Amino acid sequence: MSHSEHAAPKNGLANLITYNKDIPAYPYIIVGLILLGIGGIGALLALFKGHAAVYNVSREMPWGLLIGTYAYFVITSTGLAFIGGLAHAFGYEKYGKVSKRIVVMAVAILLAGFTQIGLELGNPLRMVWMFITPNFKAPIFWMGIFYSIELVILFVELYLVFMPNKSNHKLSAIVGFFALLVGTIATSNLGYVFGSLNARPFFHGIYFSTFLVISGITAGAAMLIIVHNIVFKGRIPSELNDTISSLAKLMGMGIGIMIFLYFWKIMSSLYTEPQGSYEAVMAMLAGPLKLNFWIGEMLLAVFIPLIIIVTNSKNPAMLKIAGISFMIGLFFTRYDFIVAGQMPVLREPLPGSGVIADSAGLAIYSPSIVEWMVYALGWGVFLTLYFAAEKFLDLNTSEHH
Amino acid sequence: MGNNKRYAIVLDSSKCIDCKACTLACKMENDVEIGAESYRIWVSLKVKGSYPNVSMEMEPSQCQHCENTPCQSVCPTQATYKTPEGVVLVDYDKCILCKACMTACPYDARFPSHHHHAIEKCTFCYHRLAEGREPACVETCPPKVRVFGDLNDPNSEVSKLLATKKVSQMKPDRNTRPRLFYIIG
Repeated sequence: MSHSEHAAPKNGLANLITYNKDIPAYPYIIVGLILLGIGGIGALLALFKGHAAVYNVSREMPWGLLIGTYAYFVITSTGLAFIGGLAHAFGYEKYGKVSKRIVVMAVAILLAGFTQIGLELGNPLRMVWMFITPNFKAPIFWMGIFYSIELVILFVELYLVFMPNKSNHKLSAIVGFFALLVGTIATSNLGYVFGSLNARPFFHGIYFSTFLVISGITAGAAMLIIVHNIVFKGRIPSELNDTISSLAKLMGMGIGIMIFLYFWKIMSSLYTEPQGSYEAVMAMLAGPLKLNFWIGEMLLAVFIPLIIIVTNSKNPAMLKIAGISFMIGLFFTRYDFIVAGQMPVLREPLPGSGVIADSAGLAIYSPSIVEWMVYALGWGVFLTLYFAAEKFLDLNTSEHH
Repeated sequence: MGNNKRYAIVLDSSKCIDCKACTLACKMENDVEIGAESYRIWVSLKVKGSYPNVSMEMEPSQCQHCENTPCQSVCPTQATYKTPEGVVLVDYDKCILCKACMTACPYDARFPSHHHHAIEKCTFCYHRLAEGREPACVETCPPKVRVFGDLNDPNSEVSKLLATKKVSQMKPDRNTRPRLFYIIG
């Protein structure tokens, strides 16, 4: 491929450094650095002023934007790891052709996600107690374990894709398989983190564990389509046409399954008005989250990308729009599911109860400016790391074993 | 303190005069900070009927010290734990402030404490029990709405009340098996 100025590295870290003059990475790195600056200020405000002073979460709504954005990033990462696992472990050569980008992006997005949870937790340093007095029954304990293991596996994958050696083929397959497996377990366990909340019926059942995995894979495909369009300035090399086409199909299939899951989740939450689920779904369909749901989740994450994929499956530029639309819409998907599930207040907002709710009896929440700044930090981490890798490493997979 | 005790509170809400002595005593005893969302116990006012046939009911409440404990189940560090007597407590030093316990509690009984830099809740004034004293909210209540005692002691007042009175528990559909019992009628 024509983007690297010199040949692929042979060995050693220094030899990995290259300069890809044709890849338009600088605008993204600059935007990333700006977002890092904004997010850094937000992080400092959160650390020095205290979360209570700068975040809008409350007793009624303990989890807000940052849990949503944590899910947004880390689930996209495990979705990418899933696609990478299909390549390495199951021989999907179309994805193997972009395996470097998959692994680098999965690492960058996972690290972006860790910034969100790191700044959401009030006492992240006390996580050491998870190893001294672990509660093995707590889903959050396993969330920490699985995502940590996933990061280690991704770093091993990173090593393997940048130090290709035929003797590593079997090892790559094993590591790729475990990246897929642990990623899927981590994400489905994240669904269980919510599903284990006794007070929140909206989160109960298999729905979120399934939905998060499927939407994560879809997001991974969307991100790969977007990035390849950026890197190749819309002119996808012919050898990658089938990869992009296959990713579009994967995305379309993912959205199709999401529609199926959406439909039955909504139906089962509406019919007979089960307490807790009904109020949450109504908050999305016709309540405070209705614009998020109809415009963000339905229009941007479902209908627009699906229509584009069905009508323009061979047009990379249109598929890029589908990917961007999906990733914007997915933000609302993640945000809504966190917020909607907590909206039904747990006690009546009566005088003296201390409960604060709107006239419909739903908890009130709107992210603070500092919460948005921390979200910007996540994007800053991803854009800076990933596009620096695009600029200074050779992410083209010349040969996939 | 022996391990054969099972502490509980029986409440007779009909006696409540909404004097707020319990909420104040709780704040004073436990150094609960001031703030709209910082409270361990509360008294909800329920208005029933319509003018001119209106009545008001008080519903004092707090952490239910559930036997099946949703907040403890989701705590990754065992910061939330149960004493042998079934009192649900928080080891503030272990709390990572993930707020899973707040999200899991069906009774909205937990909140972030800036003093402790942790999530806190009603402790049944556990520090007083070893001295043979009752929780502050129980001790201070003029009409004796709350009765505190040991369910394993058949001669305790709580056991006698439960044996003779009809009681209900909050949100039985959550299967939490609370240690707070409300006398009905």
